[in-house]
Amino acid sequence: MAYSDKVIDHYENPRNVGSMNKDDAHVGTGLVGAPACGDVMKLQIKVSPEGIIEDAKFKTFGCGSAIASSSLVTEWVKGKTLDEAAAIKNTEIAEELALPPVKIHCSVLAEDAIKAAVADYKKKTGAG
Amino acid sequence: MSVAAASLAVHPCWSCKGPVATRALFCSVCGAVQGPGATDHFSRLGMVPTFEIDRDVLDRQYFGFQRRLHPDRFAAKSPKERMLSQSQATALNEAYETLKDPLKRAAYLLKMLDHAVDLGACGTISDPELLMEQMEKREEIAEAETVAEIATLSAAADAEVLACQCHISAAFNAEDVDEAARLTLRLKYLTKLADDARAKKIRLSRG
Repeated sequence: MAYSDKVIDHYENPRNVGSMNKDDAHVGTGLVGAPACGDVMKLQIKVSPEGIIEDAKFKTFGCGSAIASSSLVTEWVKGKTLDEAAAIKNTEIAEELALPPVKIHCSVLAEDAIKAAVADYKKKTGAG
Repeated sequence: MSVAAASLAVHPCWSCKGPVATRALFCSVCGAVQGPGATDHFSRLGMVPTFEIDRDVLDRQYFGFQRRLHPDRFAAKSPKERMLSQSQATALNEAYETLKDPLKRAAYLLKMLDHAVDLGACGTISDPELLMEQMEKREEIAEAETVAEIATLSAAADAEVLACQCHISAAFNAEDVDEAARLTLRLKYLTKLADDARAKKIRLSRG
């Protein structure tokens, strides 16, 4: 199976790798796993008082597609509102990265991770 | 379990029409090879459907059956018998590959108990306790720099896999299927962790 150039680029130069303080009131954390591969993905967002995502970080232990999917999502969500970020679809991620059908679940993981991060932030601030 | 009934099921032999057990390789009346009957992996290999199995017995059963289906034995037989012996060998292979792997065996048992944990599915899980623990352990492995460090982590990961298998066995014995399913998912992650640690150990040992 050949990875697309975009997957390889995100895999070799992942954007926004790292961690934020999950106890910070402005940080939402999403932690999800894909049993199919035993992958685990953490995606965090830092939200401004206006409800805009200022920064995003991820840490993923998984295959190249899972790392590329989370890397891409952290790029996409910056500058978006919470609702815009939560509306990202796995099909958009899969299409952008040209993921093969067997790797679609990696994009599902990234979609669920950003949704979980948004939900965590809303829960924290009582807005959800 | 209804499994005992499955292993006793009979159907007519394709050759002599006499009754033959669904899991039998050969008809006891005419000796003709039988196709793989619809039965579960345990019955096919003559094993009791439990999580804890004796690996030596499993190997003995499997290799004993496969010897009797060796293509050389069918060289002079009809095309139909050659075809049946091959499908039978394929079915035995599948059963053996499933049962010899503790993770696949647990998942298969759960499926037999109508409590499928789909380890190949696209679904995601959000069990924070399991995921947080796995995230931390994967970080430890990623950060290990010396052979000694990774050897310690690898041994710990292997021990966790074995401990989890014991817990799965206990859950099945206690007929706590929910717990067995939860632990099987955990075993999937622990196996991945142990594989990761082992791969890094080999890499660092060579470097």
